[in-house]
Amino acid sequence: MKKYSQQEKLLNFGISFLALGAFPLVWFLSQAILFRELTDLISRNMLVVIGLLVGSSFVFLLFSGMERIIKLAPIERRDSLEAKMFAGPSLFMIFLFLFYPAIRTIYLSFKDRYGTSFVGFENYLWSFNDTEMLVTIRNQIIWLVFVVFFTLFFGLIVGWLTDRLNKGEAFFKSIVFMPMAISAVGASAIFKFIYEYRPPPLTQIGILNGIRVSTGEQCYNNRVIDGVVKGYDDASCNRAVGWLQQRDLSNFQIGQSLESASWLDNILVNLPLNTVLLLVIMIWAYTGFAAVVFSAGIKAIPADIMEAGQIDGASELKIFVSIVIPYIKSTIIVVGTYMVITVLKAFDIVYVTTRGDLETNLLAVKMLDEFSKYRNIGRSSTVAVLIFICVIPIIIGNTYREKENSSL
Amino acid sequence: MKKSIFGLLVILSMIAVACGGGSLEGEEVFITGALVGNDAAGFQENFDSFTEETGIIVSFQGSDNFEQEIQIQMESGDTPDIALFPQPGGVVDAAQRGYLISLEDLGVDMDEYRASFSSYIVGLGEVDGAHYGGAHAFNLKSIVWYQPAEFEARGYSVPATWDEMIALADQIVAEGMNPFCFGMESEGASGWLATDWMEDIMLRTGEGTVTYDKWVSHEIPFNDPVVKNAATLLSQIMHTDGYVVGGTDAIVSTYFGNAQDPMFVKDANGNPGCFMHRQASFITSFWPDEVQSQAGVETTVFPFPAMDDGLPKAALGAGDMFAVYSDSDAVKEVVNYMLSPTFFEAAAQRPDNSRIYGHVDFDSSLYSKDITRTLADAITGALAENAFRFDASDLMPPEVGGGSFWKEMMNLAVNGPGYIDEALDNIEKSWP
Repeated sequence: MKKYSQQEKLLNFGISFLALGAFPLVWFLSQAILFRELTDLISRNMLVVIGLLVGSSFVFLLFSGMERIIKLAPIERRDSLEAKMFAGPSLFMIFLFLFYPAIRTIYLSFKDRYGTSFVGFENYLWSFNDTEMLVTIRNQIIWLVFVVFFTLFFGLIVGWLTDRLNKGEAFFKSIVFMPMAISAVGASAIFKFIYEYRPPPLTQIGILNGIRVSTGEQCYNNRVIDGVVKGYDDASCNRAVGWLQQRDLSNFQIGQSLESASWLDNILVNLPLNTVLLLVIMIWAYTGFAAVVFSAGIKAIPADIMEAGQIDGASELKIFVSIVIPYIKSTIIVVGTYMVITVLKAFDIVYVTTRGDLETNLLAVKMLDEFSKYRNIGRSSTVAVLIFICVIPIIIGNTYREKENSSL
Repeated sequence: MKKSIFGLLVILSMIAVACGGGSLEGEEVFITGALVGNDAAGFQENFDSFTEETGIIVSFQGSDNFEQEIQIQMESGDTPDIALFPQPGGVVDAAQRGYLISLEDLGVDMDEYRASFSSYIVGLGEVDGAHYGGAHAFNLKSIVWYQPAEFEARGYSVPATWDEMIALADQIVAEGMNPFCFGMESEGASGWLATDWMEDIMLRTGEGTVTYDKWVSHEIPFNDPVVKNAATLLSQIMHTDGYVVGGTDAIVSTYFGNAQDPMFVKDANGNPGCFMHRQASFITSFWPDEVQSQAGVETTVFPFPAMDDGLPKAALGAGDMFAVYSDSDAVKEVVNYMLSPTFFEAAAQRPDNSRIYGHVDFDSSLYSKDITRTLADAITGALAENAFRFDASDLMPPEVGGGSFWKEMMNLAVNGPGYIDEALDNIEKSWP
């Protein structure tokens, strides 16, 4: 490595300071001040036009300006300076929009409801003692276990089965994949209609209740037969059920027959039906995604391994368990990781359907509730930190796995 | 010399004030709030004549998500000039955190404000002796909707007391029908209908408004015998077999806007699904279109029945309250206009309006619908007698009024009368 003289060092420092510090700062500030002044001077429409022109050239001029300054540096230093030039702005942005808010959230989680005075670990104690928080954490665990497991399970099955198809593979895969194209809010709205409840004697427009109230001899969902509206008020008919309000199975025959029996029955009877019905939405929405990724993984398995298995007389199931799954193990882990993070962030489904009523809340919704409904910044930040803490091990695990893979 | 400079400065500043204060032409005042759709359009229309007169441009932006947005705006310092909170609790909270300018500081004539809206309403926005909340439109909650034709056909008379209502309900059940519609699902606010019932009962039992005020300010605990009595009476409505059409499932699962629909549907025997529905005046806008036009005629109201002869006729209501974030002459003009008797004229005349302006001098003949006029007279009458009370859950701390109170009412509906004590204890424990 070349030794630099004091003077050269000073020059280098000056150039890096100019190129990566002073120039972007002055450039950014000048733009900010320009627009602040313009807002009051000219009309909104003009402002938009100027904003488009100046704004789109902003980055271009920023980089060309920085490059011009870097050109002043000795040639052997330019490479490293240019690398810094490109990495710098994104690092700055990551710090500004990711690290700074994260650190501030952690800081706020130790403060009171207005974020003014310190309360120590009180918010954390609250989050593990408050009954509502405990239910929320329970729901989050149920979601994690069920959604991740069933998405992987159904995804694998669909991915494997469509791969075995002689024709129509693309068609079936795209049907299963289609829910991914619908936003979570849209999917929730669809399922909200499926679970819809109307008080009697109104017509049940939700399909589940529609089927329920029209099973039976004299039971019709307000169908008109020979000019007479036939309802479901006969004693033999099933009652309509508010599906998303059922915290357990005690309202159903199966629940009643299980009551006060063994511990397994006890768990079944306490199955939080509404939470399960909500997480079905997410499984429905993400199975297609998992299936498509798995199917790509399965396609990459060399045909000779599969054929070798078949020649050795392995059954389809044996091939699936002993060849396919080990071969796409890393794909399964990637999809699983993605699903875990998605479930931890899950927000829209609960927000659109029940807003957390009757023990269906999730951490992300609880975080917002604490902020805007109960106006408690400290607790809201605490819930955010809890979600963050849950994600950390997964991120770390994923990074290590990547390292292992690349070292192979 | 010094004196003359001082004098010059005084003169100069007076000129500046005179020039600056002379005309507010073109000044802009920005208001946000939770009103959307027709209500928002009506609110904006209220300012048409004002803008013509003063030249102050008032623009209103309503949002479904107002309550979250205003929190974020306050945190980031990007507040509107005036915000129209759906509940006084939001105003009080913002004032305590020091974001608001009090009406006194703005220069509003408080005596006049008190005289035109009652000191009870003015007191709702009070923090440390200063007043921050400006009264706006209200709705009346102490009413029960029913269809007179159905009552007449069966020889039922409108119940004037609670006991008469229970007797009528028993009669309806004995005749194989269901007396009440009751649905309180409300997307994150589920349970408020039951809290309204509790409040109406609280206003009519014990010492009436006195107990009610103590209850709101937590001078009596939430598991006090008076409150327990109210919860027991509510549970009687919710849990007596056959009282509510659809039973517990209907109570917790029916969206409050659809709760009255069974009343408008006849079964095979020509009977409606229910006969009585206790719900606020704004419910009409949730009805099916063909029923909505008949509000006040086909479907109308009787006052929530009295429970104790010794108490005055109380009225429960709720409504918006506005708060001021910036101090300027234009804002002051707007605030004074919003508290004047002419403010609500444009909105009141809209055919879709069901909101009631609280000003005592407001000309109630302007309301587009007869039913609105009747309800408005009930509100102003109760205000004059100091028997009007604001929705308690809106006045309690948000952990209770928007949290445990709602939540435990849902739990009470599901768990049955045996849960009353536990529900009240839980709410009491959650009081901060």
